[in-house]
Amino acid sequence: MLNVALAKGRLADSCADIFIKCGIQAQILKEETRKLVLETPDKKFKFFFVKPSDVPTYVEYGIADIGIVGKDTLLEAGADLYEMLDLKFEKCKLCIAGFPEKKEMLTAPHLRVATKYVNTAKKLFFSRGEDVEIIKLNGSIELAPLTGLSDVIFDIVQSGGTLRANGLVVLEEVFDISARLVANKVSLKTKAAEILPLIAEMKKYIG
Amino acid sequence: MSYFKLPSGLRDILPQESARLDRTEEILRKKFKEAGFLSVRTAGIEYYDTLACIKSSVPQTKMFKMTDKDGNLIVLRPDMTLACARIAATKLREDSAKLCYFSNIYDFSASGNSDREVMQAGVEVFGEDGAESDADAVAFAIDCLKAVGLKNFIVDIGHVGFYKGLLEGSGLSEEAAEEIRGYINAKDAVNTEIALRSFGANGKAQAAILALPSLFGGVQILKDAESLTDNAGALNALRHLQKVYACLQKKGVEKYVSFDLGTVKSLSYYSGMVFTGLAEGVGAAVLSGGRYNDLCAQFGRDLSAVGFAIGLMRVLRAQEAEVKSGC
Repeated sequence: MLNVALAKGRLADSCADIFIKCGIQAQILKEETRKLVLETPDKKFKFFFVKPSDVPTYVEYGIADIGIVGKDTLLEAGADLYEMLDLKFEKCKLCIAGFPEKKEMLTAPHLRVATKYVNTAKKLFFSRGEDVEIIKLNGSIELAPLTGLSDVIFDIVQSGGTLRANGLVVLEEVFDISARLVANKVSLKTKAAEILPLIAEMKKYIG
Repeated sequence: MSYFKLPSGLRDILPQESARLDRTEEILRKKFKEAGFLSVRTAGIEYYDTLACIKSSVPQTKMFKMTDKDGNLIVLRPDMTLACARIAATKLREDSAKLCYFSNIYDFSASGNSDREVMQAGVEVFGEDGAESDADAVAFAIDCLKAVGLKNFIVDIGHVGFYKGLLEGSGLSEEAAEEIRGYINAKDAVNTEIALRSFGANGKAQAAILALPSLFGGVQILKDAESLTDNAGALNALRHLQKVYACLQKKGVEKYVSFDLGTVKSLSYYSGMVFTGLAEGVGAAVLSGGRYNDLCAQFGRDLSAVGFAIGLMRVLRAQEAEVKSGC
């Protein structure tokens, strides 16, 4: 049996669709339920619903053999696992955003950056040799520049609607993000007969 | 009482679990002895400079560092292979030696699925070289994992010479190669491709490096890989692994073996074949080893060498997983 960690929410729906196309009895994923562990009727797959940022953890520890999660979460987690497939859905971009006039401030000393992605932001600005103050927030990141908590934000941008509504703009697009299929480094080898055909099948349905 | 606790990544082992560890250790001690290995105990604390002067040693951030009375920087032993190589090169006179150990190593930066204090049982063979010696090491690793009661495991073999060979003539700088190595090690084909393009690797090398993340599986991948390159070093690495596989077939253990040419670990002292033991239900390697022919020379005496270490706590977890899965 293959154990699969899925991020709760919108991503789980897209995952269910692709699994069903691949002939997996994943209809159970579409049903309204409060269960955290779901098994397919043929007992070939067991799905865990976890918080997106916990998917890399479940896969790194080998509790889940594979998982589906956004590249932004993977960058931030830095977990030791295999990234097998770009599923090309849930596309967005990790961007630096702020008021338009902050554009020339991006290389100023002691830029204040508000973000959920603390590790990724640290790595990014470190690689550019810039000293920045990273301010960890857990939500509504756009509020930080509006209230003067930070100069800019480092966050994912999908449609840009929230930014526009608050007078903010994308100052720099840094990473392309999409959903990825990840695998535990041991499971890929010890359960190759189950995982590899699944990956081959999924490849056919990637847009 | 809240301060009667342990730093993160460390643990006490209580009698029940300790007894199981003892049993596993006893089995391995007997195995090692029967195979002619002599046990050594190396110092638990070493000079930082001893390790820092070795090329491709343990990164500084992975070492527990302290200052000695005279102001020298000292570290908790971070690696047993380095310690054994130092002993073989500087303290033993013979041209060949078979050493084994049961010791802890310390990894300052370990987190996630790894502990900071790691109990290892390992063997190091000095003064032997060639495919047969490599196959002996792999076969003995398989033998040891079987002896401690594992059934659902494989030994995954790679070769550092293949990636090195592909890099030659790729036009990639050392920095670029290191960044790409990280992506390949994570089998991240997306970033491998982006990086190869932006660094401007030449066409043939680009195609070959891009294929690396998918070059794993049975022995046939060695054949598949041949068509990707005409670099002599890379082709030699493939031929060497074919020979190792032939030896393993003769020993009748090939069903435990798979290959992965995309295992390109960070700056390591390994010079040839590398291998890891993977057991179901653990999520991380239970055994890891390889050939390191250039290491002893850095300690002053040129000795070829191959060895491996078994993580005892992970073996315990693998044993538990086998009981759970009912085999």
